Amino acid sequence: MFTRPDHWNQMSPLERRKARLDAWQNAPVPFASPEAEANYKERIERLRKIYDMEPHDRPIADLFLGVNEYVVRRKGIQGKDMVYNHEKLREPLLEFHNEFQPDVSVAPLPYPGKVMDMLGYKSYIWGGQKLPDHLTIQAVEGEYMTGDEYKEFAADPTNFWMKKYLPRVMPTLAPLAMLTEFPRVSENVDIIDLMVPFGLPPFQEMLKTLMKAGDELMKMLAVVGQTGAMIAGAGFPGMGFNIAKTPFDYLGDTVRGTKGILTDMYRRPNDLLAACEAYVPVLINAIVNASDRNSAPSVLYVLHKGADGFMSQAQFEKFYWPTWKQVMMALYEEGITSYLFIEGSYNNRLENLAEMPEKSLVCHFDKTDMRRVKEVLSDKFIIAGNVPASLMAAGTVDQVRAYCADLVELFADTPAYIMAHGCYFENTTDEKLCAFMDSVKK
Amino acid sequence: MSQELIQAITDMREEDALNITKQMLDTGADPITILDACRDAMGIIGQRFETGECFIPELILAGEMLSQISVIIKPRLQQNGESKKIGKVVLGTVEGDIHDIAKDIVGFMLDVNGFEVTDLGVDVPPAKFVDAVKQTGAKVVGLSGFLTLAFDPMKFTVQALKDAGLSDVKVMIGGGQIDENIRQYTGADAYGKDAMAAVALAKSWS
Repeated sequence: MFTRPDHWNQMSPLERRKARLDAWQNAPVPFASPEAEANYKERIERLRKIYDMEPHDRPIADLFLGVNEYVVRRKGIQGKDMVYNHEKLREPLLEFHNEFQPDVSVAPLPYPGKVMDMLGYKSYIWGGQKLPDHLTIQAVEGEYMTGDEYKEFAADPTNFWMKKYLPRVMPTLAPLAMLTEFPRVSENVDIIDLMVPFGLPPFQEMLKTLMKAGDELMKMLAVVGQTGAMIAGAGFPGMGFNIAKTPFDYLGDTVRGTKGILTDMYRRPNDLLAACEAYVPVLINAIVNASDRNSAPSVLYVLHKGADGFMSQAQFEKFYWPTWKQVMMALYEEGITSYLFIEGSYNNRLENLAEMPEKSLVCHFDKTDMRRVKEVLSDKFIIAGNVPASLMAAGTVDQVRAYCADLVELFADTPAYIMAHGCYFENTTDEKLCAFMDSVKK
Repeated sequence: MSQELIQAITDMREEDALNITKQMLDTGADPITILDACRDAMGIIGQRFETGECFIPELILAGEMLSQISVIIKPRLQQNGESKKIGKVVLGTVEGDIHDIAKDIVGFMLDVNGFEVTDLGVDVPPAKFVDAVKQTGAKVVGLSGFLTLAFDPMKFTVQALKDAGLSDVKVMIGGGQIDENIRQYTGADAYGKDAMAAVALAKSWS
């Protein structure tokens, strides 16, 4: 929980940023030993200096957005285990950290398999469910909002999400559609409308299922939380972020689907723009609340639909960038750093990113020209990337070493650089991983 | 009116394109003329895609316009028989990967460029590619994969084709993380960075 200082309203964005980073850096950790504590403090101090873009001894190598599954797969863990059997991940994760001594912690995302089963979640399929056991999880796009429903969404995104989207994507939650609109509950008799669904069998059945799902989630979180605490306690800090999307991607990935939203740019452009606008305050509120709850100093966006090859620069500047920028600016004002994980290439978008204030972004690249990145962005923002997945999977150790060395040299005279992979991948070798991590230590 | 239809499609004026199609049919135009106009329009869009003037939204919308036009003209087209194809391609997203958008765009662009495309869908095991090549006699196989987990299934599919004695079949691969490293790793003949590259490769092999 992040507690705002009393004079929060008088603080500048960078002062607020400092307060959030201080809270993250000084969060209590159950250290396993004095040595682990010393290592943790050294690592988080280096990471903090990178966040602050201040001089530090060397770059860090971050594994999270790349090998977060490989670190357990190398010990025979399957995709199904990452969704259903979180206990099984603990030992290989601790072993990996102790053996490889990474700069920051790394672990698979905590997919709540049993809870997803109980909700009937349809946006993904996963190992042990509809995918074979060795695979983890893959998105299944669907149209959960029709083109005709844009106006209803824009009028009240939260209500639409609760009463239309959630019941459609998680059939267990279908009775939520029975709820009245909350803001009309104001007089004593309105309580009748508010409470009627709670007295009806379908809604009561849903509540019973949700309570069981909640119990399952608590069991899973206890395991995942303990593993995370043990990793931190062994000396390894995390990057510290919540996860979000841009307004355009929330609409495209989640409710309209790729084909839907990309054709909406022609078929109903004004509705699409109005929906993106309507999302802005909802999203800002959601991210700030999450950051206050868990003290994460930054928010991670996984970006793809705005990439160079996906849409034109004119479309990006009309549909994608303005509302996303509004969100990032509001978060900057709240002291929250936006961490951009930019899949594909963003060669044409660098000047847009450069519009943001200093230290407001961490820019993590995949296929973007890193020389241009250095030229356009490295004075203002923290830069990360861009070791290719193809190299880690199919290249040689020497090729990985050479690629990483070039990046270290390229960014040697910039304020803050993080060695990182361009995208997530499943297979590499320990030797290539060592070459990647060692590249920042020489 | 063919020129008007081409203009409407390339301008992304969907309603106009459909209305012009109906008007052309009402005034007795040969459905083949309409198909030719669609093909010309897609040629222009394809060129614009290569030069960075068109992007994914235009390819998808153009695809949807052509699908709707096909439905409108289909009853009359059947009487005129199928248009001549320049080659056969077997296409699919490899085993373990369920992503279809890029694969669908490639299939569509191959189709409008004159190829007979056998689309095997997503999560396609190597044996199914082998069977499809044997059944169709296709000389080109396109393997799509969005995720990095596609690297190995691509390699296994290339090997399965060789093991089945289909070494003369050319294999092209494509997807977000595919590059020359992965082409070598999988043993494929070539990789394409986008749908137009796939068309160019298929043409060069047909």
